Parts: sequence; structure tokens; C-alpha cells
Amino acid sequence: MRVTKARIFCCLVIFPFLSVFAQTIAVNSFELPNGLKVILSPSNDMQAAAVCVYHMRGVRNDPPESRGINYLYQYLMFDGNENLEPYDHVLFINKMGGTVSGRVNYDNSFFYELLPAQEINVALWLESERLKSLRLQDRNIDYHKNQIYGRINRLWESNQNFKAQTWVNAKVFEGSAYEYPLYGDLNKIRFLNNDRIRENYQNFQNLANILLIIAGKFDINELKAGINKFFQDIPPGRRQQNPVFGVQNQGKAYQVKNWLIPGLKKNFVVYGIKSPAKISYNFIYFDFLRYYLTDPRFARLDYFLNTVNKLNVEIESSFTDYMEANCLTIEISSPKRINLEKAKYVMEKEFQALSTNLISNSDVKSIRSLMEIDFLKSMAQLEERCLRIGEFYHMFSELNFFDAQLKRLRKITSYDILESAKKYFLKENQVVLNVYAEEK
Amino acid sequence: MFMPKRNSSNRCLFWILGGILLLLGAGRELFAETRLFSFTTSKGLTVKVLQDNNMPFIHAQLHIFLEGNAQNYTSWAISQLTVMNMFVRELNSPPSNLLGMLQRQGNDYQVEQNPEYIKISMNFLPDRLAAFPKLLKEIFYYQSFHLKKFNQSRENFWSLYSKNKDWRKEMAFLLAYQQIVGNFYFKGLLFQEFVNKINLAQLRSFLLKTFRPDNAILIIKGKINPYFILGMIEKDLPQPSPQPAKAKKEEITINASRKVFVLNVNSPELPAIYWFDTAPAVTEANYLPYFIGNFTLFGFPGGRIYKSEKNQFLMAGYKVNTEAYFLKNFTIFCNYLRLNYNDLENFLLLVDQERRKFAVQPIERKEYLDALNFYIGRAQIDTNRFDFGLQGEIDRFHAKSSGSLPARIGTELFQEVSINRVVQVMDEQMGNRHKSGGKEKGVVVLIGNAALILNNLKILKPDTIELLTD
Repeated sequence: MRVTKARIFCCLVIFPFLSVFAQTIAVNSFELPNGLKVILSPSNDMQAAAVCVYHMRGVRNDPPESRGINYLYQYLMFDGNENLEPYDHVLFINKMGGTVSGRVNYDNSFFYELLPAQEINVALWLESERLKSLRLQDRNIDYHKNQIYGRINRLWESNQNFKAQTWVNAKVFEGSAYEYPLYGDLNKIRFLNNDRIRENYQNFQNLANILLIIAGKFDINELKAGINKFFQDIPPGRRQQNPVFGVQNQGKAYQVKNWLIPGLKKNFVVYGIKSPAKISYNFIYFDFLRYYLTDPRFARLDYFLNTVNKLNVEIESSFTDYMEANCLTIEISSPKRINLEKAKYVMEKEFQALSTNLISNSDVKSIRSLMEIDFLKSMAQLEERCLRIGEFYHMFSELNFFDAQLKRLRKITSYDILESAKKYFLKENQVVLNVYAEEK
Repeated sequence: MFMPKRNSSNRCLFWILGGILLLLGAGRELFAETRLFSFTTSKGLTVKVLQDNNMPFIHAQLHIFLEGNAQNYTSWAISQLTVMNMFVRELNSPPSNLLGMLQRQGNDYQVEQNPEYIKISMNFLPDRLAAFPKLLKEIFYYQSFHLKKFNQSRENFWSLYSKNKDWRKEMAFLLAYQQIVGNFYFKGLLFQEFVNKINLAQLRSFLLKTFRPDNAILIIKGKINPYFILGMIEKDLPQPSPQPAKAKKEEITINASRKVFVLNVNSPELPAIYWFDTAPAVTEANYLPYFIGNFTLFGFPGGRIYKSEKNQFLMAGYKVNTEAYFLKNFTIFCNYLRLNYNDLENFLLLVDQERRKFAVQPIERKEYLDALNFYIGRAQIDTNRFDFGLQGEIDRFHAKSSGSLPARIGTELFQEVSINRVVQVMDEQMGNRHKSGGKEKGVVVLIGNAALILNNLKILKPDTIELLTD
């Protein structure tokens, strides 16, 4: 009797604290008999839900002789199936005020619907329809092949920056899974074999490589019934050996190249900095450096170049966010070549300073909280939360990462950043492309 | 059975303690939903706290009101320069106290401006809540203007203004607003010649008149103890100086008649069309009929412009986006898209043709239900946004101060908006007006290469076009 009372008492004492922990993002999962893994992340304080299909396959899984195949699915996935006409999928969701989107990347592919919570079954039905019977007829495949060719070709012809960034990316990722553009070889995309595209779709929609992730408000019993109804009759996929992610070795050699373009209005330089993989322990520290230098809310690079040195240059940056290797691209442009050369000098000095001096504690604190706020905001957005859960499971086969991620963020110190800068801001980690106007 | 008295009282104490802890735990669950607390501080600042205990960070919006109906070209430039000097991160040399505080707060802030208000929104972690009232004080009693920074802001006005924002849309909105309200007029882009004439004293004077607690509303959402934040604000905000006598406000007269502007921008991108229409304020019952009408016309992909049989070009290839600007006394709907130069006129004619059709082909039941369905669905999806609920509070605040009907937002509106009411309102807006030979409505702004745009406008009358150059 006394033991029972003690237990009850313990429960009473522990309960409130459990509920404090319950504040973190809850994630749980189950598997259907056909092998489809379903991941749920409930949030009952809203009236919306997101249904996401995360394919653990992307452009890196393209057969070497047919690069660009998986990228085509990004468009074909909206082009109808046995029961739906092209763009019916979008129409259905738009009509209820929802949004639909999707993309195919190197490591993964991700399609989602964000919609009112009570309509969740519509999204489940739509997603199951395209997994079962995507329309892959010659006519629509050819249409999208031509569309992609036309769009990329126009960019290639008219946009020197696009050309330059493609070149830098190819050099940064030479020999890795990310070496080729998402669309493969532009000259070959129109000649991809349609039978090969249909055949490859069997791998793309293989349930063993798919995660169905649902976040937001739902009734667990109704949801399970819906999932069973729409997904249980999809034939089980053969579980393939998922690629075990490993940090890819990016060659260490400083590469610099000059292009002279007649009639170019603005000279520019593109830096490609080889950066740690998303699965790497160092990723979070390099991400900190990226925030410090290029995030518009902090933009220290802009401050050094334009405020301190008054060079009046434009700065644009992007980050690849891949799982096995990454590239931070910084593009600096100016109509005056002398300013560009000065900017390059200042940037080099800044990289050196970051590798030798500690960042001030107030800057560390400020960026840490900025990163934490961004992380929390992304977890508040349902579709973004689904993507993060899927990526984390894909990389580490774990579901609960929220607390661990926050803990790591809060522990970043200026010494971690110094070590990261020492490692990644070396000259041999850079690919530099100078694009200058050709003088007559 | 004998039990010592001491044990019995201990047990009793344990049970009580356990019960209290249980209540505390359950209390968290009971208060999981968002609760609203409204205050007005002794300094006149309206504070609305949306307590949401599930939110892991805090979102705050400070709206400082500008007299939209008293704007002119110079005052617009003054307010832009003031905001730049206070908040633009690139102008932090020498460092200002305000930017330092914002950085310590987390640096996740954004400042937007339209002719009616300046909106400062920010996100920060709960451990920075105690520092927030001091930040507010620094905003309201800013004293860090610096001549060097001021000169920099004038010299680099355009690059600072257009950085990290969709300046095309913002310019298009300003052009439409001035046309609709009719109180100031852009001859060209803003506006180096006007900017150069401004001096620092004008900024100081603007700041004194405008950045006052009694001319602002603060809405703050997150896991917040409302009484704690109120106490801190009361403690930290000093008494504002007496308010200067306000000039009598002119009543806004909305002029929604048709005007087409062309804004010349040399860019390789496709030209953009922005189509603006005015509607009642979101808190008024007539807002929803306008929403339904706009959706029936432009809604992608089921709107009338997509279904038109006389569609001369492939409208299906273009998606029209819709955005609503909720202003104090009215709403402006903006429908926009990018399209090929040779499709510009086709699109404009198609929209006009479909608008006129409302007179002979009123909104049908299916269209009405589709629009309502969309409206309810979008409102439900918006509950996913971390700033959900804030705009509603701003609208309620305006409705109260302008003496209009009590706020009725969301599903409550549907009970009063029948299809007949929608048909009647749309007929007033587009049908009868057109039939009686009145002027067409809607302000159109075309942004792109002006020469190419003009070459491609063959039927539209040239006197309806204003050419603006960058």
C-alpha cells in the first residue's frame, strides 16, 4: 500500500515536469505492412496540417548515362495520373486555400501539401494517386524535357552569373555526387530515353525509399484509417541498400580562372568555398560562419567591404545545403574593376583574420540566438518541419533531434568558430572565378 | 492502527504538494490556447499581449502610425530617411545604441513602411524579454542621429531603399495609393532631388511628432506574463512630451478610377503587371463580397480569366498572385504577375472584358461557394503562422478608433454575406458603373522596359499612360 502511494506521489511530482518537456516537438512513427514508413509530428494548437512525401532518392541516384532523369520527376509529379488530369492536384489543394510544392534535389526529393486540417484525407489520396499511377506518357515527358531545356538554355545564353556559378560548383564538387547540375547534361536532356524514365520511376516511387511525414493537427485514429485506405494497396518496394552517407573528400587545391566577356556591364568574382557536409559534426560551426559573413541580418562581409572600405560593391551569396559536401558561393560585383580587386584583397584579409582571431563574445551570442530563432521558426512552419524531420531521419535514422540540435546551437563558442575558420577558409579550399569585361 | 501524528501531517503535506504540482502541470495544458490581454499604458501606448505558451520564441510588432492622408513627396522621403538612419544595419558606423540593442536582442528584425504606418517586427528568445521594454524606449526616444550617417543615407538612398526587398511591388503600390487617395504624386522614382533637399532637423522633427507611445500600438505574442511586460513597459517608458496640436484631418476620398502607369526599368526580366482595386476595410461586412469578386475573377486556376472562351492567349501558363493591403479605412487588393511583352495588352483586355461580364453574368452559386471555401481554408492554414492573430488585432484597433462596426473577422462574416449581397456589391463595383458609362475602376502599374511596353500596347489609349523613368 505504502509503495503504491509512493508511486502515485512520484507520478504527481514528475507529471508537471514531463509536461514541460512535452513542449519540444513530438515526433513518432509506424510502418505499414508494405514497408511505407509514416512519421507523425502533431501540433494541436492550429487548424492546418502538412502532408509530405519525402523520397530518399534524388539526382545523385541518376544512372550515369542518363543524368537528369530524377530532376524530370519534379515536373512530371504535377502532370496527372490515371485518375487526374495535369495540374488537377494543384487545383484540388488551391481550391481549399492550400498550397502545393515540391522539388528534387541531389540527396532527396520532397513534395508536400499544406492544407486545412480537416482535408488531410484529400492530400493523402492525391499523394497515393501519383505514387500508384503517375502519367508517364511520351507526350508529357517530351513536353517537360523541352521545357527544362528551353528554360535552362535561356538562362545559359543570357545570364553570365548562372554560367559562372555552374562552373564554380562543378569545380568545387569535382569527383563527387554533386559535380553535375541537377538537370544533368543540357545537350542530352531532350534525348533521354522515355522507357528509361518510366523504368527509373519504379525506383523513385519504391515505398521502401519513401517517408510519409505528416505534421499539424490531426486525429490519430482517423489519420491512420486514411493512410491505410490510400496507401496499403501500393505494392511493397524492395528495400534497397540506402547509401550510407559519408563526408566526401573535396580535393584541396586553390583554383583560379579568369573569363573575359565582351560587353559585360559589371565585373564580378565568384568564390566557391568548400564547406562541411550536412552530416558532419563541423556543419553547425561553418553555418555560424556563413551567418556571420553573409546573412543579410548580420552581413559582416558587407560591412567590411562597403561600410568600412567604401568599395560600393554588390554581394550575393548562396549555400548548397547538401548532405555529403557543400559549397558557400559568394559573388561580388562592381562596374569598377579596381573596387573589385580591392574587395578581393579585403576578403582575403577577413578570411585570415577569422582564422587567427576569436570573434567577440557579443557577436557569438548574437548569431547564436539568430540561429536559434531561425531554427525555431522553421520548426513552427509545418512544411519546413517535415523536411527537417525527413532529412534528419535520412541522414541519421533518428527521429528526435529537436533538443539535441538546440543544445548544440547553444553551446557554440568562439573557439569552435576559430577552429572551423582555420579549417575551411584556407586558400586551397577555394575556387575563384574572375569574370571581367573584355577591353577593346 | 496507531499512526504517529507527525507522519500523518507529513503525508497530508505531501499530498497537498503533489496536488499543487499536478494543478501546475495541468494548468499549462489548460492555458495552451492563445489568450489576449489588452492594455493602454499611462504613456498612451496601446499594448496587446497574445499569450501563447506553446510558442518557443517571442514575436513583436510595433506599428507607428503615419497620417496617410497628409503625405506628400517630401514627407515620404523624410520618413524613409528616418527609418534608414535608425534601422539600416549598413549604416552602423559610428555604432548606434539602438542597433547595438537590436543586435543583442537577436538581430532578427524587419522594418516595413507604407503611407499609413511604419511596422517594426522582431523575433527574440524569451530570455531577452526583460530587455525588450528598454529597446522600446530607445525606439521612442531615439537620439543617435549622426551627420555622417545621414549624409551616407542620402548619397546611397536608392541602393539602401531597394536592398533585400521587392521594390517593384512597393513602388507599384505607392503609385496606386497616390492615385487612389489622390494626395501626392510621383513624377518619377524616388527621387534623389527630393532626398538631397532634406536636412537632419527635419528628421528630428518628424521623429518627435511621430515616434510617440500615444501614436503606436504594440502587439507581442509568445510565452509571456502580460502583467510582467506591462509593468516593465510602464517602468521604462518616460512620459512623452505634450502632443503638438494636430491639423484637422481631411476625410479620405477614394478615387478608384482607371489609371495605367508605366514604370521604366531596364532589366532582362519579364515585365510585371500590378492590378490594384479598392475594397472596404477588412472589418466591414462589405469586405467579403469584394474578396469573393476578386477571387472569382483572378483566382488561380479556376478564376474567370482562366476560363474565358475568348481567351486570346495561353493564360494557363501564367499564375496571378493576390495580396491584400489592409489599411485603416479601406483595403487594396493587388493582383500581379509577370508575362511576356506581347501578352501585356491581351491580359489587360481580358481582365476588362471579364470585369464587364459581372453586369450580365453575375457570380454564380458555385463561384460563391468556391470563394468562401478558399477563404475559410486559407484562414485555417494561416493558424500555422507564428504571427497569426496579430493582423486581426490591428484591424480591430482601427475599427474601434474609426468608430466603425465592431470587428467581425473570419467565419462570423459569412452569416451576413449572402450570394445576393455579393452580386449586388459586385454590380455596384463593376456592373452598373460600366453600363452607365462611368469610368472603369482599377489602377494598373506596368513595370519593365517602357519602350517595349508602349510598342506592345496598341489598343489602350495613350492618354491613360504615365511614363516614369528610373
